[in-house]
Amino acid sequence: MPEIIKNLKKDIKIEFRNRSALNLALAFALISTLTISLIIGGVPLEPKKEAIILWLIIFFSAISSLAYTFIREEEKKTILFLRLNFSAESVYFSKLIFNIFFFFIIQIIVAIFYVFFRQLEIQSLNLFILGLLGGGLALASTITILGAMVAKANGQSSLLAVISFPLLLPVLWMAVSSTTKSLTPNPFSSNPVFYNEIYFLLAFSGIMIAGSFIFFKFIWSSQ
Amino acid sequence: MSIKTENYTIQIDSISKKFEVAPLFHNLNFSLKTGQSLAVSGFNGSGKSTFLQIMALLQNPTQGKIIYQKEREVIPLEQIYKKIGFLSPLLNPYEELNSLENIDFILRPFYNKGDKETKIDEFLDRFGLFGYKKTLVKNLSSGTRQKLKIILATINNPPYLFLDEPGTNLDKKGKEDIFSYLDLIKKERIIVIASNDPEEINFCEEELTFGARDN
Repeated sequence: MPEIIKNLKKDIKIEFRNRSALNLALAFALISTLTISLIIGGVPLEPKKEAIILWLIIFFSAISSLAYTFIREEEKKTILFLRLNFSAESVYFSKLIFNIFFFFIIQIIVAIFYVFFRQLEIQSLNLFILGLLGGGLALASTITILGAMVAKANGQSSLLAVISFPLLLPVLWMAVSSTTKSLTPNPFSSNPVFYNEIYFLLAFSGIMIAGSFIFFKFIWSSQ
Repeated sequence: MSIKTENYTIQIDSISKKFEVAPLFHNLNFSLKTGQSLAVSGFNGSGKSTFLQIMALLQNPTQGKIIYQKEREVIPLEQIYKKIGFLSPLLNPYEELNSLENIDFILRPFYNKGDKETKIDEFLDRFGLFGYKKTLVKNLSSGTRQKLKIILATINNPPYLFLDEPGTNLDKKGKEDIFSYLDLIKKERIIVIASNDPEEINFCEEELTFGARDN
């Protein structure tokens, strides 16, 4: 646990001083939200279309920055420094926690901007927030392990696009579906089935984190 | 500070390495124990750095194995890295952190706060880095950065020290500081230095030469 905290503090400190990942993500988020809002104007879109646009902005704002947490260690030649001094478990969990918080920050900012500029009427605030959090958790946990794999492949970012596709597709699908539901008037919103996508996203995150935890040791110790 | 009561060994067992078809070295066999030091020399590209990385288990050999032992007991793989001090151009401290933060980041938690500060100050002072405590690594000169890398490799008292050209970018005084410290701890460590610098080679008792030396 002390190793996780130490490494997490280090990553936060570096990001705070550098701000390259956060600035890049925020710039993309703000520019794309504003551009889309201005182009579409005040014309209301179907909930599904609104949900797709919202998740596309969130996804592309965060993906490169999330993968970068590992790739940066490889590019700056600090990965050996980390490997010699920290256990694989502590490195994995510190990067995962950092990525989850990073993703949540980006999501909150994008969602607030998008809802405000598009004047979205959220029908179920609970589902909207849970969808964002569940989708964020699933995406962050997936991209963390993919980032580690890409870093080991000498930062070949094209590899990220290829290997992430089959894993991220179901996550984005469910996330869009839950956000669509939250924007659509529904008389059955108190029914537990209404939250099916959230269960899927949480289960997916659990499986992904457990699998990554086992798999990461091999990636980390591969020479 | 002292680890002299513990005997460590490293056994190099039939180690070979080749890239594509060209062999770098073939069937190396030897062992080192606490108190012994080895210089690895050879022309550029002869495989000195690769051999050091293989010894430190940071790269796989094409053939053979490396066995780490403490008091004749094999050290489990997951514990080996924490017993290694490694210095190489392939390993950098964090540029966005200052010298103190980098040291604090890797310092093992076996000191109380007072001891920890004394330990850090002692090392910074020994290598002439006290005045650079709060300087971000990206703003340090290459020589000062090299001294910081030496501190990072040695401050946790690792029983195994692998140093790839430790004198790089250092002036005469810097080299003296480093080698007087290494001399002080030599009897309690296994030290392997990859270099072509005669001073660094002479520091070690044994020498392993790959091909012909280029100076």
